[in-house]
Amino acid sequence: MNRRDFLIRVGCASAAALAAGGLGLALYDSKGPAPAEVQKTLTGLGDYTPRGLASGPGKMAIIRGADRAAMFRQGIKALGGMESFIQKGDRVLIKVNAAFATPASLGATTHPEVLAAVADLCFKAGAAQVLVTDNPINNPDSCFEISGLANAARSTGARIIPPRASLFAPVSLPGGKLLQNWPVMAGVFPGVTKVIVVSPVKDHQRAGASMTLKNLYGFLGGRRNVFHQDINGIVTELALLLKPTLCVLDGTVSMMTNGPTGGSLSDLKDTGTMVVSTDPVAADAVGVELLGRTLADVPYILMAEKAGVGIADYHRLNPVVLDTKA
Amino acid sequence: MARRKAKVGQAQKLTGYGILAVLGLITVWLLVQQSRFNPAVLVALQAPLPQERTQAASGRPLAATAAFIPEVAGFTPRAPVESFGPENLSDKINGKAELYLNAGFKEMSCRSFGSGEAFVEVYLYDMGAASNAYAVFSGQRRPGSLGIPLTANAYATANGLFFTQGRFYVEIVADRASEGLQSSLTAFATALLANLPSEGPTKDAAALFPKEGLALDSLRLCAADTFGCEGLTNMFTGEYDLKSGKATAFIARRDTPEQAQADAKRYLDFLAANGYQKVQPPGLPGDIQAFVLDNSFEMVFVQGPTLAGVHDGSSLEASLELAAKLQAALKGKP
Repeated sequence: MNRRDFLIRVGCASAAALAAGGLGLALYDSKGPAPAEVQKTLTGLGDYTPRGLASGPGKMAIIRGADRAAMFRQGIKALGGMESFIQKGDRVLIKVNAAFATPASLGATTHPEVLAAVADLCFKAGAAQVLVTDNPINNPDSCFEISGLANAARSTGARIIPPRASLFAPVSLPGGKLLQNWPVMAGVFPGVTKVIVVSPVKDHQRAGASMTLKNLYGFLGGRRNVFHQDINGIVTELALLLKPTLCVLDGTVSMMTNGPTGGSLSDLKDTGTMVVSTDPVAADAVGVELLGRTLADVPYILMAEKAGVGIADYHRLNPVVLDTKA
Repeated sequence: MARRKAKVGQAQKLTGYGILAVLGLITVWLLVQQSRFNPAVLVALQAPLPQERTQAASGRPLAATAAFIPEVAGFTPRAPVESFGPENLSDKINGKAELYLNAGFKEMSCRSFGSGEAFVEVYLYDMGAASNAYAVFSGQRRPGSLGIPLTANAYATANGLFFTQGRFYVEIVADRASEGLQSSLTAFATALLANLPSEGPTKDAAALFPKEGLALDSLRLCAADTFGCEGLTNMFTGEYDLKSGKATAFIARRDTPEQAQADAKRYLDFLAANGYQKVQPPGLPGDIQAFVLDNSFEMVFVQGPTLAGVHDGSSLEASLELAAKLQAALKGKP
């Protein structure tokens, strides 16, 4: 090969490489696939932290007892009354766990007595409207009816918002690895001024436990079971999407085994505790103890703390401890 | 005329190698990028909506299991039969789906009924094989539950019946507990069993284990990742309460002695990786390997195609005693 041949060959090879590279660059989509419908991608669901608590530690009450409504009333009173959280004219969204079409007695869903107590006090504090929502695993109508949550909402004047296609919009969490262009039930939030998350305490086969933070999974749409591959990651990212006004964790009866569905009454245990807190991480840290586990057994709690969502060492919040039986 | 062999200079060689290296790097980069899990791609391309999901669950062509769920006098259907496959089982049971999927799940049909004041739900799982059905049955067995003579593997709790029949696993649960309801649930179970195909006698897991000190309701078949060890599959376990302490026995039948040895090595490596120290206490038979961590003892041995041993022994005495009993029980068994 002479110098001329070499230069020709190098030139051809370079041109081919440039053409291939250029084609790749032209086809490369740095933004990833667009959502199915052209919609504005949201970056979060909002900060509903009570005024005066925007900075500094949260508030917390731990209430022992068996009467859910009485426990909630005493807990909220100890935190300054519902008026500290809900003001006149507020539009309140209550996120329940209505995942399964099973009766309340099986403990797989938010207990209707807690929902009724929370909605009732919201209205008494002057709320203009109370909305109740979840995107259940099973048929939404069946879930709300069979769990007793629909009846509890009706009895207090609250309105159930079942999931429908128009309520879902793509959400991308800034810096998130999993929540990118994912459909989230963001359509229930416009006009909402306060958010209360009301959850049961349950064992969970995949996540270790299902309580306040895991309850936010119910805002997800799409084939969300793909996230079971990284359940701790997705729960942590969900915790960053929304800062609720208040969290109510009902461990009056906890599902100790075979969660999240349970099925047998022997899966349940009277743990006689409710947590009312502005800090979802702290609330779940108490719930873990009710399940007889440690924070190491439920990794997403410490991950959420590390992400700045709340405080896992709930004692640092100086919780008010009450006993309704005393 | 033959073409003269081209002489390649050093600079040409280096240039050629450089181009090849760049192409190699691009290939590696592409492989790394493609291996990254990005669920957003799935949803953006498919974008299933909640309504579609619901229809998919209930609108799925009825599975074979649907036909086995009977209509029984005294049980009023409250909803049509729903059927689920591996692709949408989590739509019904959410985070528990992996338990079934790891054990070879094929399909499930369920239906809710009213029985008097009670709400009753029936779940019929086709697990593909009797051992798979036993794995999900035993893995969820409620401690202290009563064994019942409905089938070889059956127990009752205050509000439900749980049993296997061949490759099928069945749950019949009510929202309340009462004696009258239990007999109704049993009548329903009997009707359901009459519909299920007969698949011959079920292998008795308890027969593998030495009887003394064994808690019968603790028998399990772990389909995957036994004791947290990845890849350690299909392992029978049973808990013992001996005079010298508590311990769990495990037995796994493999096709060949080589497979049993390979699984033993897998478990021993797992123990070592988790900080267990090998020990050689007096009286330890030569074919048993013993490990300890924080007064929790592990003993492992292979007997032909069988891997067996003791897990989480609360004392050395209890672990040695159980290992010896286990060896004796397995001797001569196929």
